[in-house]
Amino acid sequence: MRIYVPCDSSALSVGADAVARAIMAEISSRGLSDVTVIRNGSRGLFWLEPLVEVETARGRVAYGPVTPGVVVELFDAGMLEGKPHGLCLGLTEEIPYLKRQERLTFARCGITDPLSLSDYIAHGGYQGLKRARTMTPEAIVEETVQSGLRGRGGAGFPTGIKWRTVLKTPASQKYIVCNADEGDSGTYADRMIMEGDPFVLIEGMTIAGLAVGATQGYVYIRSEYPHGFRTMRRAVEIAREAGYLGPDFDIDIRLGAGAYICGEETSLLESLEGKRGQVRPRPPLPAVEGLFGKPTVVNNLISLATVPIIFDRGAQFYRDFGMGRSRGTLTIQLAGNLKYAGLVEKAFGLTLREAIYDFGGGTRTGRPFRAVQVGGPLGAYFPEALLDTPLDYEAFAEKKGLIGHGGVVVFDDTVDLAEQARFAMEFCAIESCGKCTPCRIGSTRGVEVIDRIVAGQDRARNLELLNDLCETLLDGSLCALGGLTPFPVQSAVHHFPEDFAKLKV
Amino acid sequence: MPLLQETDYGTPLSVINTLVTLEIDGQPVTVPAGTSVMRAAVEAGIGIPKLCATDSVKAFGSCRLCLVEIDGKRGTPASCTTTVEPGMHVRTQTPKLAKLRRGVMELYISDHPLDCLTCSANGDCELQDMAGAVGLREVRYGYAGENHLSAPKDESNPYFTFEASKCIVCSRCVRACEEVQGTFALTIQGRGFESKVSAGGKPFLDSECVSCGACVQACPTATLNEKSVIQMGVPERSVITTCAYCGVGCTFKAELQGDQVVRMVPHKDGKANHGHSCVKGRFAIGYATHKDRILNPMIRAKISDPWREVSWEDAISHAASEFKRIQAKYGRDSVGGITSSRCTNEETYLVQKMIRAAFGNNNVDTCARVCHSPTGYGLKATFGTSAGTQDFDSVEEADVMMVIGANPTDAHPVFASQMKRRLREGAKLIIVDPRRIDLVETPHVKADYHLALQPGANVAVINALAHVIVTEGLAAEDDIKERCDAKAFELWRTFIVQEKNSPESLESVTGIPAAEIRGAARLYATGGNAAIYYGLGVTEHSQGSTMVMGMANLAMLTGNLGRRGVGVNPLRGQNNVQGACDMGSFPHEFSGYRHVSDDSTRKMLEQDWHVALDGEPGLRIPNMLDAAVDGTFKGLYVQGEDIVQSDPNTKHVTAGLEAMECVVVQDLFLNETANYAHVFLPGSSFLEKDGTFTNAERRIGRVRKAIAPMAGLEDWQATMALSNALGYPMNYTHPSEIMDEIARLTPTFAGVTYQKLDELGSVQWPCNEEAPEGTPIMHIGKFASGKGKFMLTEFVPTDERSTARFPLILTTGRILSQYNVGAQTARTPNNIWHSEDVLEIHPSDAENRGIRDGDLVSLASRSGDIALPAKISERMQPGVVYTTFHHAMTGANVVTTEFSDWATNCPEYKVTAVQVQLAKKTSEWQQRYGEMRRQNTRILEDDAVMAHGD
Amino acid sequence: MKPKLMVHMANQIADFFAAYPHEEAVAGVADHLKKFWEPRMMRQLHEYIAQGGEGLHALVLEAAQKN
Repeated sequence: MRIYVPCDSSALSVGADAVARAIMAEISSRGLSDVTVIRNGSRGLFWLEPLVEVETARGRVAYGPVTPGVVVELFDAGMLEGKPHGLCLGLTEEIPYLKRQERLTFARCGITDPLSLSDYIAHGGYQGLKRARTMTPEAIVEETVQSGLRGRGGAGFPTGIKWRTVLKTPASQKYIVCNADEGDSGTYADRMIMEGDPFVLIEGMTIAGLAVGATQGYVYIRSEYPHGFRTMRRAVEIAREAGYLGPDFDIDIRLGAGAYICGEETSLLESLEGKRGQVRPRPPLPAVEGLFGKPTVVNNLISLATVPIIFDRGAQFYRDFGMGRSRGTLTIQLAGNLKYAGLVEKAFGLTLREAIYDFGGGTRTGRPFRAVQVGGPLGAYFPEALLDTPLDYEAFAEKKGLIGHGGVVVFDDTVDLAEQARFAMEFCAIESCGKCTPCRIGSTRGVEVIDRIVAGQDRARNLELLNDLCETLLDGSLCALGGLTPFPVQSAVHHFPEDFAKLKV
Repeated sequence: MPLLQETDYGTPLSVINTLVTLEIDGQPVTVPAGTSVMRAAVEAGIGIPKLCATDSVKAFGSCRLCLVEIDGKRGTPASCTTTVEPGMHVRTQTPKLAKLRRGVMELYISDHPLDCLTCSANGDCELQDMAGAVGLREVRYGYAGENHLSAPKDESNPYFTFEASKCIVCSRCVRACEEVQGTFALTIQGRGFESKVSAGGKPFLDSECVSCGACVQACPTATLNEKSVIQMGVPERSVITTCAYCGVGCTFKAELQGDQVVRMVPHKDGKANHGHSCVKGRFAIGYATHKDRILNPMIRAKISDPWREVSWEDAISHAASEFKRIQAKYGRDSVGGITSSRCTNEETYLVQKMIRAAFGNNNVDTCARVCHSPTGYGLKATFGTSAGTQDFDSVEEADVMMVIGANPTDAHPVFASQMKRRLREGAKLIIVDPRRIDLVETPHVKADYHLALQPGANVAVINALAHVIVTEGLAAEDDIKERCDAKAFELWRTFIVQEKNSPESLESVTGIPAAEIRGAARLYATGGNAAIYYGLGVTEHSQGSTMVMGMANLAMLTGNLGRRGVGVNPLRGQNNVQGACDMGSFPHEFSGYRHVSDDSTRKMLEQDWHVALDGEPGLRIPNMLDAAVDGTFKGLYVQGEDIVQSDPNTKHVTAGLEAMECVVVQDLFLNETANYAHVFLPGSSFLEKDGTFTNAERRIGRVRKAIAPMAGLEDWQATMALSNALGYPMNYTHPSEIMDEIARLTPTFAGVTYQKLDELGSVQWPCNEEAPEGTPIMHIGKFASGKGKFMLTEFVPTDERSTARFPLILTTGRILSQYNVGAQTARTPNNIWHSEDVLEIHPSDAENRGIRDGDLVSLASRSGDIALPAKISERMQPGVVYTTFHHAMTGANVVTTEFSDWATNCPEYKVTAVQVQLAKKTSEWQQRYGEMRRQNTRILEDDAVMAHGD
Repeated sequence: MKPKLMVHMANQIADFFAAYPHEEAVAGVADHLKKFWEPRMMRQLHEYIAQGGEGLHALVLEAAQKN
């Protein structure tokens, strides 16, 4: 008989360890020798964490949020048999928030013991690799192209096409690099996989290695993810001991040094090489000249973690999800001012409104919704009028927005969009690597210009200057940091002009 | 010529052979594949605005001024980082691009001082040029925002300033330090708006910076600027010439205002340096106009008399009459002369001609005697030619470098940078040196093997390496069969396979574990193209010539000759060592290394020179001094050399000079040898004359007159006057006529003319009918002598050994900032880095003697003793001490001995048995010499000067 | 030149050629002396040999007869 207490950072941050300790104490004081506590990943229903599950004949029954103080009470109430209690949520699978999702990449997350290879295999793990091993590199690449998988880091570039370039570039050594420097505000999908289902990433990278002829992989993890780092390291050791990693393909886990820019793939490569995290010009593409000058696949963690299911179920299965040119599922990460923040994996095509209201339950404060920022700190601010935009790369681009890594941050009517625009410039100024001029100087000037606009100095002229600056940033920057900073700024000016003219002059 | 503005192509030249045609602004242009769009545009005569790009470093793509539009490509790619593709259509000027560029420039200027008119780079500033080019008319951000205008100025370096407030953070300096120089002293500190150039967080002077000037060269603004420019303003004219320091032979632009040199700037077209420089050639030029320059001829009856200034005519006729008197009294062979590796080929040629024709004997020698004479001997014996086999650029294809007894980062810094670049690309490195030189471990370079041998064990090491290659079957048998003398090889093979030559047998002699020798031998033999680079640590030994042959054997054995990336390459010490040897400066050889006993050569010269020539070899420098002490050698003409300071066993040198009746010294300064001279002829610096220098790769480069000779005559004119006064007429009106004569009489120079040098920039001899544009790589296909000849190289330990009385071994060398005897560099601010010679001693040897860092210690050998400060260092192994000979009053050569190379008498500078002890004061010799120096350098002041004197 | 130094120099030459077969060695020493030693040095060598040639390498003695 098993009890599941998540070890995901989100659960730990609200006391999951104390809950686990209380449960174990109770087990031992009641002499329940056949009960074991499993530390699983998170299901991503954060308002319910710590979400404790109990294995019953009917299936897993959920209780949450559990505090150490209610543990005795829960045992008394018959939690071990899945009996009712004020905190009982019924069968986990039947919780509507989960039931309405289409979990492909996150199929196992929150269900298994992250570091149990047998758990992983019992839940369909390594089926994709098994199939990939029967295929030629060209066929693996073709299957990936057919699946319609696009880079989940934000750029949305077709993963299979990238792999094809690496496959076709002859070299003595090639690399697979997983970008796990998840720095966008309001995002956590990468972390959840690393903490909750690390083997799926290892399997995905191994398939990528087979596809392009790479024998070494690296996972570059942001320094703010100590748990993810530890779990990944341990998972790699376990996979190696079991022969899933070795001379044919091995993985090293690396910790970043704390810079947003190192999530940009070329800076990440510089950082991996031990250098200052500065953007490299493209071309050459990393696929041609990447890590240590060798052809390199640099993919977002979610892209790579999605690869196993594509190979397990076939390209067609995956591409049947989604809309238009956005195929498969998007891992939406709801955050900000919402009642139900959490991970929602759904096929592309869900509207923003559905995500915010049907899943997120509207604002937590109960105040009217005013703006949502999708795609991290460089995403556009959308007003109410744009909430029917479907989550689809092209649809968002059309509205001058971006999906990015799938982060959705909601604001109520107390937000000041001029402040948010200023924050975007400030963020760019703080996180700029300092290499290209528009970003290095422009972001600082942007803060100053917005301050002058808000202060009512020469407002029209400064708005024009801000617009010109945004153009310089957009077309002139070396990488997406400077290039995308105009998105939040210009969307704020465009959709919320009144916030820039509060001070009457 | 007016100030030469070299074209900046923005990105380096592509080395790809295939061509690509594209269209830029409607204009078709064809360039090598791999070329950047920016460079292609420049080739087509279209300038694209740029700031962070410059053709000495790789494209960086940071300034965002060079953006272009390309049909079929998204957005506005940077032309510096975008490479050309066939059929590409590029537009460099569109309204969108114009607006973008103005937008970027507006940002730059919003954080830049507005002091253009009073800025030291006014008129020589790319930021200023670009602001004009993009049509920036206003900065709407104003100037009140965050900025760096109050960033501090770093003036610590003696030659340039770093004015951070003017920095645009283009990283050109950082990249030049990394890619061009390979020192990695600079970095960008902080990120975003806080990004700033930093010398590792220290003032430049205290940092790893070696003052090569690459950063100053790369800087597009006044941020890194020469102090001389700040002081004098931007130069107005350029003269392209060749550096007068080391044997790398860098091409420089002397940039002047009127007759004032403002700065020396390395020339991008220089084939030895490709636009790079070192602290000496780039900055240490102040000696040329130093107040110590002697500008009037002087004579005196006795060396203890004060000097008396006289006219050129008087000085020349006095010298001539003295030489004639001496020859009449003591015989024709009682006089001789020394040519200088610092002077031009033409001057050197003229001095040896004067000695052979006017003195009528072969008593001519040159300072190569004390450095690379074994190179000439050893390479001639094996390959048939007394010169290195490669050009410098050959190193770009070397897979393994073996550096033996050379310290390139200090002594040949510009070539060292080229080596380091190749090493960073992955070439392997073997270092054979008793001392842990910088190259053993320097940023991004680490030697695969450092064979830290005992001084004096070179030949044992080279034999052990060869033994391993032969006995392990790694020899290039086919190559040997085809190219080498079979009989000599078989004899050699029998010799080398003997067990006594195995690394195991020689371990006790070399001090190197056998396994390391075996590993290094395998790497050299099987690692691809392997090139040997060597210096005076090879030649300045009792077996110097043997070692040169040993290296030549090794290269022949492994087929590492006759193509790029391989060879046996001497790194010559002085600017014109190669040339001085080529010009017939040795007592046994005419120009082109033809023995004086060779009748046909001698007859040809006799006909051309209209004089009878001696067919017996003359005296070498040490022989001259021995003969002087013996009383048979009485008169000496020394042009541009300072044998008292540079030659070994100073007491013996000065005894020889004191025994002479007429010593004529021609030099820029009253050097140490002048203390023993009777006639002083003022010399002309390389800025003051026309001529040629030949560098270590046999490259003949032009020296061009930038200013008039300060003392009235160029050196060749003084020599000519002396010859005429001696009764042998010379009537050249320009050094080009001397070169014409050299070409006429020397087969390897037959094709050399000034016109050709002007056209091609430089040529490498042999330059003749077969190779009209010169010969970068020698011995392609076959050796100059026909068959390569393996020479037996029995290891013979030197007789100079450590004893109970002299238990340590002294070895000598040089450092980056000083040059040779210091005549030039010690008269510049370079002294800030090295103001005195010190004795490097291992901590354990120091501990045993109670010596602490900085203590004054005595250094004594059987020849003599001096005192100098100690520096505790682990660069040497225990039992070995090290010093330099840059400063006269140190007198390092008081300690070195009379022992020399068996074949050439090249002194054994690198091995002297010594004792080191704490000292209370300077040595007796140092005190006596100091006093003598004060006496012997006095110059009589005439009354007028006295009246105004202070 | 001091006789001791002369003997040292001459013997160094002999030490190099000693590795060769005897005939070649003698010829090598003789040739080297002829090519590089100035006449008065050769005179001194011959005079020294005439006085007994103490300390000279056998190859030098043999080679000197050829010059």
